[in-house]
Amino acid sequence: MASRSSASDLGGPAAGTLSQMPRRTASLRDRLREPWRVAVTEASMRPAIEPGDWLLVDPTVARWPRRGSVVVFREPDSEELAIKRVAAGPGDRVPYADGYLILGADEAWLLSDAHDAELMAAGLGEPVDSRRYGPVPVELLIGRVWFRYAPIGRIGRIARTR
Amino acid sequence: MSRFRRWLTPATIVRAHCDLPCGVYDPEQARIEAESCYRIVEKYAANEDATFRTRAIAIKEERAELVKHHLDVLWHDYFKPEHLEKVPNLHELFWNANKQVSKVKASTDLADAKKLLDQIDEIDAAWKATGGNEKTRVAGRPG
Repeated sequence: MASRSSASDLGGPAAGTLSQMPRRTASLRDRLREPWRVAVTEASMRPAIEPGDWLLVDPTVARWPRRGSVVVFREPDSEELAIKRVAAGPGDRVPYADGYLILGADEAWLLSDAHDAELMAAGLGEPVDSRRYGPVPVELLIGRVWFRYAPIGRIGRIARTR
Repeated sequence: MSRFRRWLTPATIVRAHCDLPCGVYDPEQARIEAESCYRIVEKYAANEDATFRTRAIAIKEERAELVKHHLDVLWHDYFKPEHLEKVPNLHELFWNANKQVSKVKASTDLADAKKLLDQIDEIDAAWKATGGNEKTRVAGRPG
């Protein structure tokens, strides 16, 4: 991964080491107890996911968080269930303020799909994601969103972006 | 069909969380709390009773905190970078007013509370200069 090697160029951890460190993820048993299908409210994941969509969640993911996949997780401060896309995973470098920060071995950077300008035009405010509450501990992730089963016109897989 | 639909409906809701600002802003909110501080200082000076004075200080502290809150909301949420062209000293206005709130918390001098009112009036002028009155109040501001 490009950003991982650039982190090592800048005196950060050597490429690959973080991904080999043990990660504190919530156990599969805990995750299986969480919801496997969810309804979406609010608009920060437009256009990929609209408010009112019904989605299936896969808690059995072995390798994650994978960059580009959509995940359900508990928001760090409120513990409310939320949905965002993984923008960066453990050990990755993310732009922050005027510089960047390197995510820890058990942290993910979760962002909204919708652009601020679109939300503003729709009368909504800024998306609330890692830019607001910072890195999300991997153990707060519950599952990967993989399928939309309603509304009928938009049934289909939820793609992973690159 | 309805039973089928019910069976399909997920029991859990996830938020694709974004802010939902009401878009209503007015420096008057901060000013009213600052006026409370002003009046409390007046009443404090006119009453020697220890219990009354203790209560007055505590309530002034609360009201001053609300001034800060309302100023911050106005600063962060209403004012946008483009407003800086019209009001180049915008950040200074808010910084000074917020610092003055801290001063009002610690002081029982009426002049400090008056200075805060004047500073909020400057912010009010900036809000009006950027069209705040027409844009953010439902039917314009009364008066």
